Amino acid sequence: MTRSILQRLIQAVGVLLGVALLIFFMLRIVPGNPILTLMGEHADQATIDRMTAELGLDQPPLTQFIRYVAGAVRGDFGTSYTLGRPVSSLIGAAFGNTLKLAIMAALFAWIVGIVCGVIAAVKKNGIPDRIFMGLSLFGVSMPVFMVAMILQYVFAFYLHWLPISGGDNWKCYILPAIALGWNSAGSVSRLVRSTLIEILGEDYIDTARAKGRGRMGVIVLHALRNAMLPVVTMMAIQLSSLLSGAVITETIFSINGIGRLAVQAINGRDIPLLQGTALFSTFVVILGSLLADSLYGVLDPRTGKEA
Amino acid sequence: MPFGRKKQSEEIRDIRLRSQAGEEENARTIMLRLVRENRLAAFSLVLILLIMLGAIFAPVLTPYTYDGMDLMNRLSGPSAAHLLGTDEGGRDILTRLLYGSRVSLFIGVVPTLLAMVVGAALGMIAGYYGGIADMLIMRLADIMLAFPSMLLAMVIMYMLGDGLGNVILTLALVNWASVARIVRSETLQLKGNEYVEAARVIGVPRPVIILRHILPNCLPTFIVLFTLNVPSSILTESSLSFLGLGIQPPSASWGLMVNAGRQFLTNAPWLAFAPSAAIMLVVLAFNFLGDGLRDVLDPHQKKG
Amino acid sequence: MENKMTLEVDNLKVSFFTMNGEVRAVNDVSLRIPAGKIVGIVGESGCGKSMTARAIMGLLKYPGKVVGGEIRLDGQNILPLSEREKCSIRGSRISMIFQEPMTSLNPVIKVGKQVDEAVLLHSNVTRKEAKRRTIEIFREVGISDPEKRYDCYPHQLSGGLRQRVMIAMAMIMKPEILIADEPTTALDVTVEAQILRLMKKLCEGGTSILMISHNLGVIAQICDYVYVMYAGKVVEEADTFTLFDDPQHPYTKGLLNAVSSLRRGGERLDTIPGVVPNLLYLPEGCAFSLRCGECRKECGDVMPEYREISPGHKVLCTFAGEH
Repeated sequence: MTRSILQRLIQAVGVLLGVALLIFFMLRIVPGNPILTLMGEHADQATIDRMTAELGLDQPPLTQFIRYVAGAVRGDFGTSYTLGRPVSSLIGAAFGNTLKLAIMAALFAWIVGIVCGVIAAVKKNGIPDRIFMGLSLFGVSMPVFMVAMILQYVFAFYLHWLPISGGDNWKCYILPAIALGWNSAGSVSRLVRSTLIEILGEDYIDTARAKGRGRMGVIVLHALRNAMLPVVTMMAIQLSSLLSGAVITETIFSINGIGRLAVQAINGRDIPLLQGTALFSTFVVILGSLLADSLYGVLDPRTGKEA
Repeated sequence: MPFGRKKQSEEIRDIRLRSQAGEEENARTIMLRLVRENRLAAFSLVLILLIMLGAIFAPVLTPYTYDGMDLMNRLSGPSAAHLLGTDEGGRDILTRLLYGSRVSLFIGVVPTLLAMVVGAALGMIAGYYGGIADMLIMRLADIMLAFPSMLLAMVIMYMLGDGLGNVILTLALVNWASVARIVRSETLQLKGNEYVEAARVIGVPRPVIILRHILPNCLPTFIVLFTLNVPSSILTESSLSFLGLGIQPPSASWGLMVNAGRQFLTNAPWLAFAPSAAIMLVVLAFNFLGDGLRDVLDPHQKKG
Repeated sequence: MENKMTLEVDNLKVSFFTMNGEVRAVNDVSLRIPAGKIVGIVGESGCGKSMTARAIMGLLKYPGKVVGGEIRLDGQNILPLSEREKCSIRGSRISMIFQEPMTSLNPVIKVGKQVDEAVLLHSNVTRKEAKRRTIEIFREVGISDPEKRYDCYPHQLSGGLRQRVMIAMAMIMKPEILIADEPTTALDVTVEAQILRLMKKLCEGGTSILMISHNLGVIAQICDYVYVMYAGKVVEEADTFTLFDDPQHPYTKGLLNAVSSLRRGGERLDTIPGVVPNLLYLPEGCAFSLRCGECRKECGDVMPEYREISPGHKVLCTFAGEH
């Protein structure tokens, strides 16, 4: 058990290093001198040289990369060209907001997805099933920005129930969270439905019924726990798409999160910032999938220790 | 047909039929079963064909041009003259949607094909040869898959710069890894089959085995993967364009139209919603079709 | 035989409503299960024996439905009971064990907890007391080292142990009747013998058992009384000795011949020709007439009458006793 965890950890570190390498060199292929972007076209040669040396850009690429990784391990991602502050502190400030958004979105997706999925599975082929599954297909097919704009239009602009964007109040996060969680809610509900239907046909469900459990008790105590297994695996994948979606959602709702930071970095041609946000997001995704793996181990006794 | 030479593709088809003796399935019977078993998928297919026709015959279908300004008719709502209203330059939205579908469909299909060819080739090599090739390819795929796709696309777009060609390249780069992973596991499965072992025993060279035995048997998977990857390409492109990082004006993709229409959300919502709905419709249709095809092509997989 | 009946099934009818029409999976079946006895139902797969068992448990799967008859437990008809009342009977007064011990236990819950659940559902005891009882019954059904097994997950146990767990779960509330649906089919022959011995022991403790099997050997070993089913109907019933000694229905004879030809070591296995008929398209008369070696002209047209040819021995064949 510990060996496999260690193995996974080493693998994760390897992937993270690979990602760092990939980002680092992709961003260095870009034509144009970043210093010129930074200083403006009219900077004199002496300043340019000084800056180049200061940023270590005169070193061979591999040295630069090693320095970068060494810094990143210590939490130093360099300094943003455009904002003049350490990338780590920018990410630190933004991550809280993204995390808040992502957690609320995930909660929305899980609650809605599981409830709808269970009802649809129990009333298989009934009217609620048809309605929920139809909706879920819209859920997975709607672009994030469309959901976001519809929510903005209906609940903020038309009904004035919730703020249209910005702000730090938790209310400001309701619409963005729903927009971001919408797609996941659709896929979670479809997955819960199909797994649950399959599981309700398993023999051990009959055993539980034969023991005298009622229908609801069987679903909650016996079926749902098994149905959660594939859903947990999906969680890791979801985290990645949540972060992707966060780029759009944060832009639309003006939330100062990681995604918006990345967009700002691109628009400002701010390589350290883009590099930092991309690397950090990937780190979060990898961490998430590690967590999902260990959660799976807890939920499913068949993994890990064998008798 | 992803293969260049006609002769080869015919040969592959023959082998496919031979290798699946008994259950002869050609495109026609597959389509018939699709229509019979999954009305929704069949309907989606018709819808996709209609949209394609709309894209091709756009100039015939509409009296307007896609960049024809009409400053007297700015931001007008849906009416008989302009079924979906006009934008801030007085341009007819429906017309722009029809023309935009050319870009959006192109961007849905071409990068997906590219990603499929690259991903399938790498996946089969990794799965069949194993060893170092497998390790290298799959670690690279792991790295690509660890990236949130939107950020990966943004970084690649930043590296390559704007433009249609670069968007296509970006989407292909974002998508190949998942294809490779699926094709690899399929290849591993096929590799264990008796007829592959038999071919190996009599000394058929490995590339020939891959082309003759693995590739034809992966075709159903390819078709399903293709149908399901097209909408994801369309979605990623529209998201990129929405952020202003994809296609640049004056070309019009649906995503770009949403981006442009967003600032008029409160006074002319149709500007943003019409192209959004178009994206959703196409994505929905491809998803239905992909699900339907999967049910038809892979009877082992249980229906959800 | 004139003792108290634990379970009586009268004219039970179970139908499946499919797109092609109504399938009568169980057609007018009556059973009597006396207290403290083991009664067997034997027949080929698809003859309706498992459906009968599920109907008694109230666990028919959609689209199956009981369309007629009565099921009486200690004289009380349990069919019209509410779902809640049925739940309180299931697991405490009637319980069931299934064919596949490998898949019949929930893979993510410790086996001990799964047995506890039955106790906690039907009696008002603490978790600790439930655990004590579980360990006690584990010992009774011959699970060695019960304290340790209590904390095992199903995948850590062998098939025989899992079936013992299933039996423990079914027996822990001391039910009046245990329905065993092919309890040994998935097990090795040696394990089968142990399980059968265990069931016999349980029966001596006062529980009646309804044993469902396609295996005549199993039936012969432990049953007191046997029902033979074919195409949703009981075609013959008798006490085990009479049935094996003097079978009357051609189908029963066929089943016995198939087994005894094996025993004799004959070169060819005697089989009953043909296959189980499609329940949607049964002949007018005797359902077995299509495969019957002794079929006469009338058999295909006239439904035979179920009649008693000697005390306690009933046959569904017009020509029984004449063959």
